[in-house]
Amino acid sequence: MSEIEEEAVRQNYSEQEKTSIFDTEFMIHVDSMYNFAYRLTFDEDDAKDLVQDTYLKAFRFINSFERGTNAKAWLFRILKNSFINEFRKKSKQPAKVDYNEVESYYNSDDAGENITTDLRVETVQHMIGDEITGALNALPVDFRTVIILSDLEGFTYEEMSKILDIPIGTVRSRLHRARNMLREKLVSYAKEMGYNN
Amino acid sequence: MSEFSMWFEQTFKQCYCEKGNLVDQERFSELVQLVLDDEADEESRALFEEKIRTCVQSNGKFLEEKGLRECIQTKLTQFKQDIPGDLAQSIKNSINL
Repeated sequence: MSEIEEEAVRQNYSEQEKTSIFDTEFMIHVDSMYNFAYRLTFDEDDAKDLVQDTYLKAFRFINSFERGTNAKAWLFRILKNSFINEFRKKSKQPAKVDYNEVESYYNSDDAGENITTDLRVETVQHMIGDEITGALNALPVDFRTVIILSDLEGFTYEEMSKILDIPIGTVRSRLHRARNMLREKLVSYAKEMGYNN
Repeated sequence: MSEFSMWFEQTFKQCYCEKGNLVDQERFSELVQLVLDDEADEESRALFEEKIRTCVQSNGKFLEEKGLRECIQTKLTQFKQDIPGDLAQSIKNSINL
C-alpha cells in the first residue's frame, strides 16, 4: 500500500469528514471505475471485486488523500495497482503477449515500418461500437490502458503519468503506439469483414 | 514552455524536407496526436497551425487523423458495460457506511 501513501501529506479527518469525502468525492466515480475494471479484467465478477477492493483501500487510506484534489486520478491509480498486484494473476482473461516483449519490439528502430495506419474514417463508420471495443480488448493490457485513460476517461498526460507511474514522455509514445496498434487491428478486422478500405 | 516543447520543435523539423514538403507522415502523426490531445503548448500549436494553413498535404493528413480519432472515440464511448445495480450499495455496506 505504500504507493498510496507515498508523497502524500497526511490528513487527519474526522469520521464525519471521511464519510463526506467518500460520498461526495469518491462514489461519484463508481461507474467510470467499474468500466475501467471491466476493460481490464473482461469479467463482471472480477470487475466488481476489483472496484470494491479499490474503494476499501481508498477508505482505509483516506488520510493520504487531500480533499478537493483529483479523486478520480487517485482512485484510478489504486485500481490499476490492485489489478497489477492481485487481480492480474487470477484474472479469467486469456494469456496475453508479454508486455516487455511488445514494448521492446515497438521501441525498436524498425517498428514504424510495420505499423499500418492506412485506415479510413468511412471504414470505421461501418463498424459498430462493440467491434471497435473488441479490437481495443485485443491489445496488450498496458497499451489498452493508455487508450482507455486518455480517450474514454479524458485524463491528461500528466494525470496518466501519475496513475501509471511512468514518465510523461512514455505516456506520449505509448499512447501513439497503442493507437497505431488499434488501427492495425481495425484494418485487419475490416479486411476480414469485407468492409471497403 | 511545456514538457514537449523541445521535442515538438525537433520532430516538426524532421517531418519536412528543405523545400518544406511533408516527408515523414509517421512523425507528423505524433505531432497531430499531441495537438489533438491538447498537450502541445501555445508556441508549438501556433507553429503547427501555420503549417497546416499553408501545406495542403499536412492539412489533409491532420483532418484525416482528426476524423479517424473522433470516429473511434465516439464509437468506443457508446459501448459501455452495464453497471451492476447493487455495486454502490455493496461498497458502502462493505465499509459500514
